[in-house]
Formats: sequence, C-alpha cells, structure tokens
Amino acid sequence: MCRFVRWPRIVAKAALLGLCFLFSLALQAQDDGFKAVPILTGSTAYFTRVTAGQYQDAPAVSPVLLLPFGDKWLVEAKGSYSDTFSKNAQGDYNGTISYGMTYGQIDYIANRYMTFVAGRFTTPFNIYGERLAPNWIRALQTTPLTSPVTSGSSLGGMMRGGFPGTESLNVTYALYFSSNNTHHLLATDRSTGGRAGFFLPRQRLELGASFQQVLQADRPHSSGIFMEWQPNRAPLTVRSEYVRSSGTKGSAYWIESVYRLSQIRSLRRLELVGRGQQFFAASNLSAATVKKLGALGKDTNEGDFGLNYYLRSDVRASASYGRQFVLGRDANLWVVGMTYRFIMPMLPQGGAR
Amino acid sequence: MKMKFVLASFLVAGAMSLGLMANASSGGKDVAKDATKDSSAVPVSAEQAAQNENMHFEGEKRFRSNCARCHAAPPKFSPRMMATIVRHMRVRATITDQDMRLILRYMTE
Repeated sequence: MCRFVRWPRIVAKAALLGLCFLFSLALQAQDDGFKAVPILTGSTAYFTRVTAGQYQDAPAVSPVLLLPFGDKWLVEAKGSYSDTFSKNAQGDYNGTISYGMTYGQIDYIANRYMTFVAGRFTTPFNIYGERLAPNWIRALQTTPLTSPVTSGSSLGGMMRGGFPGTESLNVTYALYFSSNNTHHLLATDRSTGGRAGFFLPRQRLELGASFQQVLQADRPHSSGIFMEWQPNRAPLTVRSEYVRSSGTKGSAYWIESVYRLSQIRSLRRLELVGRGQQFFAASNLSAATVKKLGALGKDTNEGDFGLNYYLRSDVRASASYGRQFVLGRDANLWVVGMTYRFIMPMLPQGGAR
Repeated sequence: MKMKFVLASFLVAGAMSLGLMANASSGGKDVAKDATKDSSAVPVSAEQAAQNENMHFEGEKRFRSNCARCHAAPPKFSPRMMATIVRHMRVRATITDQDMRLILRYMTE
C-alpha cells in the first residue's frame, strides 16, 4: 500500500525537476539577433465545388496564432471555421457550419537537433497533413485519398528535429505518442509512431517513411512512404505518398506534379497541376463494414487537373477538374475559388532588433 | 523535515545549473549564427564582403530548397516577424537549425 502512495510523489518530484531543467535551458538566450513578436496569420478561402452535380459554396477561415516566449518557446494554435452552403433538390441553399481546432501546441526548442512538442498536433505521418494541407498551400483543393487512412491529429507529446548528416544530406525525424480523446471536436486515437526523412539539398530530393501503431480497438498499424523532388533545371515539383493500413482502411497512393510557367513572361504567375491517385479497399470486408466505412469501403481511382494563378504572392485563384471512378458511382469534381493568406503582428514591431 | 527541504533545494538548483551548462556548451561556434549579427557599423573588408555574398547565396539556396518546396515565396516581413515565422516553420517543416539561421538572415537582409 505504502509503495502505491509513494509512486505519485516520486513521479511528481521527477516532473518538477524536469520542469526546472527545461526552464533553466529556456533562460539561456539562443540569440538569433531578433526578438520574435506574436503573430496572427492564417488564410481565408471561398470555393465553389460541384461534386457529382451537387453544388456547394464554402467560405472558410483558418486563423493561426503564434506566440513566441523567450528564444526557445513557441505556442501555436490553428482553428478552422467554415460554412458550407449546399443546393438541395428544390434549388434552395442550406448552410452547415463546421469548426474545430487543427492544432494547439507548445513547442520547446531544446537544442539545435531536438524540439519537444506537447498538446494537440498534426500527426507526423508522411508529408501531406503537416506541410501541404493548408488551402493556400495545397496545389489542388480536393483532399488526397490517402488522408482518411491514418488519424490526422494527435493529443500528447512529440519529439522532432533535423540535422545535417553530411554536406549533401539532411536527416529529419519525428516521434510521437497520442492519447485517446473522445471529444467530438478534438477526437484522437491512442497511438504512437513516427516519421524519418532524408533530404538531398543538391538534388532537391526528399525521401522518407512513416509508421503509426494504433493502441486501441483492433490495433491496426499503418506504414507509408513519400517523396518530393524539385529538379534544379525546371520549375517543377513532383510529390508522392503511399500509405497502407493493416486494418479495415485499405491502402492508397497519389502522385502530383506542379509546373510553374515562369519561363513565359505573360504566364509566369500560372501553375499547372496534375494528380493521379488510387485507393484500394481492404479485402474481405463484410457488407456491414463496407456500409460503415462509406468511401473507404470501395476501390476508387481519381485523376485531377488544375490551374493556380497567383494574383499576388498571398492571393491565389484556383480552378480544377477531377474525375472519380468508383464502382457504380463515377463522378465529376469541379472546384473554383480563391485563397488569401494573411499575416499581421499582434504587438508593435519596434525596431529591427 | 528541514533536511528534506535542503535536499530538495539542492536538487532543484543542481538541475537548473546543469541545464544552463548544457545550453552554454551547445551554443558553441556557428557560422550562420554569427552571420545574423549586424555588421553595418564596421567597415566591410573585401573578404567580409565576399563572405556576406556567400551567406546571401547560401541563404537563398536554403530558402529555395526548404520553403519553396511547399509554397510560393512570401514578401519579406520585418525582422521580428520573420523571427517568429522561421521558428514556426522550423518546427512544422523540420528545418535544420543551420538552414533556419541562413534563411532568417536571407529573409531579413
């Protein structure tokens, strides 16, 4: 009995010592030369989507708050709010509001190779969720078929960082654990996993792999690989992801290429985008499971083509057409709209330093 | 009771000094770090000018290979805003410390 009483005290003492250690690390200035200021950034978007003849208009805003403390701490939070107006059979529009918190995390830069993250964060699995998902960044507004295969958000802790392995190789890594959360807006799975990436700066090529183990329900695991390449001689980006889940969610891949017409003066602000993707539903699914899984229960092929025009570096007009092939339900996917990325300091910026 | 208090104080002080020492030792030589310091007040020699040009070239290269991989080049913001943005991107895109410093220098020139 006594042993059980002592344990929480020991853990509490260890946690207190750990905090003191981290605090003392934070006290020592990193000296970047510039004092960081709090920033409000994010994006707004307005898109009209026509999916299999169903019209939807969706204004959305995704604010991101960045609060730096000292030279090593950063609190960052991203919210999302959108109102989707859908046209019903009578031709009337009905609005559906959706909102949530994409991430809300505290980052501590422990040293040049390691950053600790705590809170709700985007699961570090492959590259789409963390890097490409914001609507002002993504080349095509339709979400890839790989995204629902793994859980997008986690609640817990993460260790991540990057270091130059040699002059021509950067290594990046992320390891995390997440607890189960059943809140309807902040739901996460109890899981653990990580990602490792190898970036060759000379070739501008990144290759990497990810792993995720869910520690609840039927405990499926997922693995994935990704690549991103920007050849030095052409304004081209080629990206790809593959993910495979051991559970009921199947496997999928996508490959996307983005070509900026920077060599033609009058079209230098225009980007051409193409993407092909396939989703393979898990085999041996019962009829009930297929019904429960919805889109994840059937094999799907999809091809998309899009145009992005940068009116300014922060204002972009986009249009895309996609064709989705699903057994018994092929569909056209049209998207037209605009995004605006905003950024503003929350305190007077003061001098340069 | 008094002994426990002394022991706890000693442990806390020890942890703090260990943290400070660890950080001091990790903040050693870093070319890019020195590069962020203002050198405008000092007369610039030819060697220094060449070094600055090299740092600018390296910064642009790191910017193109890290930032432009995902998004269009943003306009240059004030140095204090850039310090926050670069810290955010360091975490989000796992940019190495060296690349971060070179990018910060390039974006605040």
